Amino acid sequence: MTERPYWIAAGTVGWGAIVLLKAAELPQFDQYAYIGPGFLPSAVGVGLVLLGLMLAVQIRQGVPFEEQEAEDVSETHAVSYKALGLSAAACALPLLTMPKLGFVITCTGCFVLVAAAFKSERWLFNTAIGFVFSIICWWVFRKLGVQLGGFLPLMGV
Amino acid sequence: MDSITGLMHGFSIALQPQNLMWAFLGTFMGTAIGVLPGIGPALTIALLLPVTVHIDPTAAFIMFAGIFYGAMYGGSTTSILLNTPGESGSMMTALEGNRMARNGRGAAALCTAAIGSFVAGTIGTLGLTFLAPPIAELAFIFKPQDYFALMLLAFLSVSVVMGTSKVRGFVSLFLGLSLGLVGIDKATGQQRLTFGIPDLMDGVEMTVVLVSLFAIGETLYVASRYGMQKPNLNPLAGGIWMTKEDWKRSWKPWLRGTFFGFPIGALPAGGAEIPTFLSYTVERKLTKHPEEFGHGAIEGVAGPEAANNASAAGVLVPLLTLGLPTSATAAIMLAAFQNYGLQPGPLLFINSGDLVWGLIASLYVGNLMLLILNLPLAGLWVRLLFIPRPYLYAGILIFSLVGIWGVSNSWVDLAMMFGVGLMGYAMRVYDFPIAPVLIGLILGPMAEVQMRRALAIGQGDPMVFVSTPLSALLVAIAFFVVTVPAVLHWRRTRKIAQSEDISG
Repeated sequence: MTERPYWIAAGTVGWGAIVLLKAAELPQFDQYAYIGPGFLPSAVGVGLVLLGLMLAVQIRQGVPFEEQEAEDVSETHAVSYKALGLSAAACALPLLTMPKLGFVITCTGCFVLVAAAFKSERWLFNTAIGFVFSIICWWVFRKLGVQLGGFLPLMGV
Repeated sequence: MDSITGLMHGFSIALQPQNLMWAFLGTFMGTAIGVLPGIGPALTIALLLPVTVHIDPTAAFIMFAGIFYGAMYGGSTTSILLNTPGESGSMMTALEGNRMARNGRGAAALCTAAIGSFVAGTIGTLGLTFLAPPIAELAFIFKPQDYFALMLLAFLSVSVVMGTSKVRGFVSLFLGLSLGLVGIDKATGQQRLTFGIPDLMDGVEMTVVLVSLFAIGETLYVASRYGMQKPNLNPLAGGIWMTKEDWKRSWKPWLRGTFFGFPIGALPAGGAEIPTFLSYTVERKLTKHPEEFGHGAIEGVAGPEAANNASAAGVLVPLLTLGLPTSATAAIMLAAFQNYGLQPGPLLFINSGDLVWGLIASLYVGNLMLLILNLPLAGLWVRLLFIPRPYLYAGILIFSLVGIWGVSNSWVDLAMMFGVGLMGYAMRVYDFPIAPVLIGLILGPMAEVQMRRALAIGQGDPMVFVSTPLSALLVAIAFFVVTVPAVLHWRRTRKIAQSEDISG
């Protein structure tokens, strides 16, 4: 990839600055253990800012950023933003629906969206499979003691 | 308890019917995830963590170890038959193994891989059996500054060795360290980086970060670049067993591979890639049939496969004796120990002898199970690859939601899943290594505790960090791990620049 992703360097510096600012609110030294609660966050913040700057220098020098290899990835690494959007929507959906609509309905939605991202657009069929799969997961893991909430919390079920 | 007595006691635990069942379940799941893309041993163990609340720790770790070992076997099957290594340690196996399969010798390749894995796994486990107790004893004389130096070495070597760029390795490590700082500081009770959110007071859940980085990041990445070729299965022609000649050509590479894999696996950031690569190179040099390399040489399958499995046993040595994780899977196993309120290290051998020895004995049992599961059933396992990808990845997302929502039903965890998942996507696109994030997240807080203890002992003098011979040595090695590659790189680029000047 020949692009220059300065935003990554900016993000690293930005997160480092937030860590530093937050660390500055805490005592850096302590009487007994010598280093206080703010010491390590300060050190990590400084490290992140410096690394972000080094990254920016590297990007300016034109260091290449090769994409990682993975299975099922096309040889050209051609990006489909539609698929990326659909799968990102699947990951964001639980934020909106999980507390109110519960695990089963949320997961059915996620299932359909991910399947669509992978170019399977048999909506009705996928909804049915997703729903059955989600119910099975919800039931089995509840039996195993994992707390996944009610079936439909909005209705109090 | 000496090793032999310990091991015998371990077998009495591992051979109990319910523990045999857990070992079988672990090896079964391990083989399956080794075959499947998009899901590895670290992720599987992370997803199972919430379930294990209701299982006793011995059973849980027997299952985890089965998953860990099994993934190595499963990876080799797909490497050989389909040229798609499920795990990074199986990459070298694919080189020769897939060629053998194309020449109609797939069965022999699978056979040497499975038996080699068994031999190496068993020898590696023997190494673990007899080396772990003395190293654990050694840990008794470790002072806080020694532990701190050891962790420093782990941080630096993981960041330098993994990935293609040191700067990116360190960015990953520091991201992990910053996430590890979130929560209430245990020494002073002050909140750090919680941004006033109550859900963050307990710190960032390891499971959430791991699942988001691996499963969510991978799903986003693969979905956006999806291009599936239908698996092209090579037929299992030529009988299942190896010929006499094959045995003769395999046994030495098995042993040599084990010799590379076990010690390198035990080193911080050693992993499975380096020993498998070394083993392949050495076998290529030593073989009497150099013309076959690149066209399906059995030595090129036997050696790397053995190295791969021996390194898995090696990883368990520092994990069990010092509580030092050297890979992503080891990091999540350490998190599992902490979930049970257990701290790996010398005291684990004394206080939880049943668990440790049961676990070690189960590794022998698991290896045997894997041999039986894999040899005759290789053709069946490969069928897993025909699962339609839309449903496979959708299923992985649902399992991830079980793992993340099941931890504490927290909306903040879901938000973190989305944020860290996007980060995992960007890390794949711009080639940032993922393991240093996890090592930073889990070892960071532990390193801080040791740092404070050391400073308290040294009454605030920073020289305390090099005050014992071991800590001084480890700090020196850590220093060289960073500086030597940097100096070599600088000299190489200077030479190239000079030669360009001369030729220009």
